[in-house]
Amino acid sequence: MEQVLNDFISALRSSGGRVSTSESIDAMNAAKLVGYHDREGLKTSLSAVLAKSLYEEEVFGECFDRFFSIGAFSEDQGDPYGGLTPVTIEENSFLTQMILSNDMAALAASMRDAAREVRITEIQFFTQKGLYIHKILRHMGLEELKRDIRQLRQKDTSSSRQMADTLENLKGRLFEKVRDFVEQQLALFSGSVTEELLDNYLRNIKLSNLEKQDFHRLHKIIKKMVKRLNDLHSRRRKTFKRGQLDFMKTLRSNITYQGLLFDIKWKKKKVDRPDIVAICDVSRSVEAVARFLLLFLYSLNKGLAKIRTFIFCSNLIEVTHIFDECSVEEALVRLQTGTGVGIMLGSTDYGQAFRDLAETWSNLITHKTTVLILGDARNNYGDPQTGLLKTFQERSKRLVWLNPERRSFWHTGDSEMKRYLPYCHLAKECSTLNHLERVVDSLL
Amino acid sequence: MNTLHDEKFASAENIQQGFKDAKYICSKKIATTLYLSYHLEKPILVEGPAGVGKTDLAKTAATFLGVPLIRMQCYEGLDESKALYEWKYGKQLLYTQMLKDKLNDIVDGAGNLSESVQKLHKYNDIFFSRSFLAPRPLLNALQQKEGAVLLVDEVDKSDNEFEAFLMEILSEFQVSIPEIGTIRAETKPFVFLTSNNTRELSEALKRRCLHLFIPLPDPELEKEIIRIRVPDISEKLRIQLVSFIQQLRELDIKKVPSISETIDWARVLLLLHADKLSSDLVRETLHIILKFEEDIRVAEENLYNMTVRARREASH
Repeated sequence: MEQVLNDFISALRSSGGRVSTSESIDAMNAAKLVGYHDREGLKTSLSAVLAKSLYEEEVFGECFDRFFSIGAFSEDQGDPYGGLTPVTIEENSFLTQMILSNDMAALAASMRDAAREVRITEIQFFTQKGLYIHKILRHMGLEELKRDIRQLRQKDTSSSRQMADTLENLKGRLFEKVRDFVEQQLALFSGSVTEELLDNYLRNIKLSNLEKQDFHRLHKIIKKMVKRLNDLHSRRRKTFKRGQLDFMKTLRSNITYQGLLFDIKWKKKKVDRPDIVAICDVSRSVEAVARFLLLFLYSLNKGLAKIRTFIFCSNLIEVTHIFDECSVEEALVRLQTGTGVGIMLGSTDYGQAFRDLAETWSNLITHKTTVLILGDARNNYGDPQTGLLKTFQERSKRLVWLNPERRSFWHTGDSEMKRYLPYCHLAKECSTLNHLERVVDSLL
Repeated sequence: MNTLHDEKFASAENIQQGFKDAKYICSKKIATTLYLSYHLEKPILVEGPAGVGKTDLAKTAATFLGVPLIRMQCYEGLDESKALYEWKYGKQLLYTQMLKDKLNDIVDGAGNLSESVQKLHKYNDIFFSRSFLAPRPLLNALQQKEGAVLLVDEVDKSDNEFEAFLMEILSEFQVSIPEIGTIRAETKPFVFLTSNNTRELSEALKRRCLHLFIPLPDPELEKEIIRIRVPDISEKLRIQLVSFIQQLRELDIKKVPSISETIDWARVLLLLHADKLSSDLVRETLHIILKFEEDIRVAEENLYNMTVRARREASH
């Protein structure tokens, strides 16, 4: 039975449930405790051990039902001989006997054994279906069955010919059963590989080439990324009104009182979380990537406590509240079309954007703030206001510019990147998710 | 965990019956999870909407086992010193001051500094011994000789750091205090963690726990719960009440009433000596089950129909 449970766990993994080794050990123990006689009991027990959220519970339920319902041979076939008295031939193979005696349980068991022997759990692509069907059939003894049929035909009596036809017919049915089985197994076990492939693909593809349908998957990846980024932070000790006794400090400060411990100092750990001001260009020149940059900002906004987000085109507006209030789809649509947010989608004006920021929100930028600018720096030959960028840089802890264009395009046409570059602590190309992750990683 | 309670945890049915005696109706699923948790020695992470009896489950488990319930409410900023242990700094300082003269006696006659220090070393770390240790809930739970039920309430409200810290205790049932050494649980406590899902818990924590989701109850279960919790209420009113609540849950409202609200409502109706639901009665007492002004307004629109339907169901 342990083998069955193992197979089930790998099936669960491939349908998206994340199961660790320790959890699978727990599952074994749980199954031992509860036993296999009580289906519902087993299901709830395994679910408690393996599924760790409501969503996973659903995935688990589905997978459990699918996995433990493969009764390929369960339905009654009726009398396969059609009233025919079987012709006994002495060298009937095992498979022939099973088919003729209509022993569905034995057939199912034999098929499972064969499947295990050929390692069906490793099936990954639908193109491997035929291969596995044949491997399984061969293991079950197809060759012998064929030989029996040949021999029957050679005998050439009317009953043996009829018998051969019946066997031929049954062989066809067997083939179908095995095919069904392999298809089910494919559905059970192939999921994970394709999911991984897709994830990797999405991480490396250019943001501007991403399709809308991958949006949700991308959102998930980004969310994971932001969470990981947020978990990385610095800790420092700080004096507090209460907490742990800071022995060193107490001794030091009480020297003045002749060593009498009079003034007691406490310490506490303080967590420095990132403090970010993010500014994103949503103009037409970055239209293709803007959606994903906004998506990234949205996730940042949800994941980090101290973040203020702004978008700009001809002018600059704050959108933190929109991210806070709306669902991701709604927020992105609102921001990109500019409905009801007060943004002018004319020609891009970096100078104006910086002026707006400096006038209204300049107090946001302190020595602890990281300023994050997402944009291609294509300013339509307007005034780039590099002076303002310089003041931002001086006042902030760090100024990071992420440009969706390749570095070789940075100084061409109306791109002002060359002039902005001296005032950035870090300026990087950012056109894939992997870029994004690497940059933000270095940022925290 | 402990062999003391093996009999009580012999099977899921036993648990179900035992909890019923303690006035807690648990579904088969809950009972099975408790059974597993006891035998696999794993904490249970309980999730579900507010008011479905997550905290009550732990309380009842404590009653069922006859051990103390140690509760730790999580909140943002909770740290080791509040959850695990703290040195009684005040006491330490007071003692050092008071014992200053004594100290002179001890080091008296010592020729030089190193000799005095040698002498002092004979006295171990008296100021960092158990008598200066103030145990907080987690340490408390580990120290219970008879075992305990440890309830870590609303673990999702705590910070990530605290969650990570919790893991040592949950997987090993031991804590290390640098000055004293490792304290191991004499009897492993039965641990419940509850979460309202305000944030996603870490994978590592989830991996160490069994997961239990308690949904809002179906009508049958809810009737049974009311019967056990408010036994004086009449059969007819009970059915009407549950039917009404179930209908209410299908409306588009902010905060759906959960079991605790149903029980409160039943108690109120009992106090008012009501024997059946009527539109007026419901309107007057609606604020007990609904906590938002908008919700009450939505419910009032459908009030008449729902009352009629509830009454019809009871008459069947």
